[in-house]
Amino acid sequence: MKNRAPAIFLVVCGLVMAAGVVYGDLKKGYYRPEELGSMRQAARIEHSPDSNYRVLAYPVPAVELAPGDGLQDVQIYCNTCHSPRYIPMQPPLPAATWEAEVEKMNKAFGAAIPEENTKRIILYLQAHYTAENRKQ
Amino acid sequence: MNLAERCLSRRGLVKMLGLASGGIAVSRWLGRDPVMAQEPAAGKAVESFTGPGANSHWNSVGPYVAEPQKVPLILLTDRPVQLETPRHYFRTAFTPNEAFYVRWHLEGIPNAVDLKDWKLQVEGNVEKPIALSLPELMQKFKPVSLAAVNQCSGNSRSRLQPRVPGGQWGNGAMGNAMWTGVRLRELLDMAGVKSGSLQVQFQGLETGQGPKGLGSNLFLKSLDLGNPVLDECVVAYLMNGEPLPMLNGFPVRLVVPGYFATYWMKCLTWIRVLNAPDENFWMKTGYRVPDTPRGNTTPEDVKAGKVKTAPIERFPVRSFLISPDGGSKIPAEMNILLRGIAFSGFGRVNRVEVSDDGGKSWAAAKLGEDHGTYSFRTWEMPWNAKSPGRYTLAVRATDEKNNTQPDEPVWNPGGYLWNRIERQEIVVGNAS
Repeated sequence: MKNRAPAIFLVVCGLVMAAGVVYGDLKKGYYRPEELGSMRQAARIEHSPDSNYRVLAYPVPAVELAPGDGLQDVQIYCNTCHSPRYIPMQPPLPAATWEAEVEKMNKAFGAAIPEENTKRIILYLQAHYTAENRKQ
Repeated sequence: MNLAERCLSRRGLVKMLGLASGGIAVSRWLGRDPVMAQEPAAGKAVESFTGPGANSHWNSVGPYVAEPQKVPLILLTDRPVQLETPRHYFRTAFTPNEAFYVRWHLEGIPNAVDLKDWKLQVEGNVEKPIALSLPELMQKFKPVSLAAVNQCSGNSRSRLQPRVPGGQWGNGAMGNAMWTGVRLRELLDMAGVKSGSLQVQFQGLETGQGPKGLGSNLFLKSLDLGNPVLDECVVAYLMNGEPLPMLNGFPVRLVVPGYFATYWMKCLTWIRVLNAPDENFWMKTGYRVPDTPRGNTTPEDVKAGKVKTAPIERFPVRSFLISPDGGSKIPAEMNILLRGIAFSGFGRVNRVEVSDDGGKSWAAAKLGEDHGTYSFRTWEMPWNAKSPGRYTLAVRATDEKNNTQPDEPVWNPGGYLWNRIERQEIVVGNAS
């Protein structure tokens, strides 16, 4: 029996085109790699059969902090014990909470940040990371 | 430099990675790429932070990052490392090791352990201190295996209103694994706990930059010797039948079934019997919850100094819808499967109910295989939305002690113990 499928397919396509029906649509998007969340695959570590179990160094990606007075103090003092990424990871917090956080670092965790720098760090956080003023 | 890094260097790509020393493929794209930047994808990426309202996403909103031995996970912080597991990894009862969430407290995290030197020590107020190598742990004791959920105390902290400082976790600071190792009790018995001892303290390999004696120098956790959970604790050298990823505590980790992960010491190296209560920061100040029903309180009561606290312990019953996740539209009249997980630190989950009208009416879901009291239990339920519209699905679980998830939020200053009924909006479209 003669195969009529290709002919039927063409007829259907013709009808669809004539009727202006769209079965699918394609929209191209040109994105920067970071907008796609694109990231390179990690290389594997080379192991030897000894007793040492090693992984690669833990990455410390750059973090964007709000520019302004006190940023340098944050980068020096806060960065001693933890990455400043702890700051933008927080939700916008009230000014009093930021003050309490910095005081916790000094009192509970022994950060011993000089008084003047402590003040600048608190003012910086209060100027950029509260609900009223946070931008990034 | 290994071969791969050299190749990358030749192509000048290491600069783009911004992490030449580590060689980790974490994208920190420096500058803009003029070729690709044809159409900025406005609104494509999730927002960079949430608040002051509650985080409305299932997960937290950080970028993806690939850390050693891990698939790309959601980055909360990099030093110390805190990574959240994306929602879709919870379709199965056991969470893959490479996707298992990560939470460290101090920046000095080991990235190498030499098993020639490493020994697990049982010391302090004991008759005979012992030090055991990994082969001794594996051969001298009968291995025990148990499925248990590891959940961060601050899981879902970003739901709280008002928001509280701390790791802004979505729901993915949890995972379930089959843990295999040695019973803690056998190790304590071998060393011989002296009479008059009060607690047993756990210390791993992490260290911080802070002064000695403070919480910024060491992370230490303790359990009372009279606590029956000690009989269920396992010192695990296997996680889902594999060695633990370094970020999850290689070579051994303490497993405290039903308890929040704060006690599950990673890279466990010192088990120390104490004859006085542990008053270090991580017991006396950190990880404490109000001594109230559900650990609930108010900012006003905290400010007024009215709140008595106790160390956090077991995690309350929870359940989640994992798929569909609301990311896709579902055609009306299609028979789909709603799937998720449930668990409780107080006992086996024996009922999961699902609502498709925002919690007004409920129907029982079918429970998956029972892997043990402290495991994730999967559930599923066929669902067919007859007509197009927006549906609010909700799920609630009940455990064998008859604890059911409440529909009221919880608030405490640490951002702990969130277990409110979860909701997910699903858009059902016209099928014709």
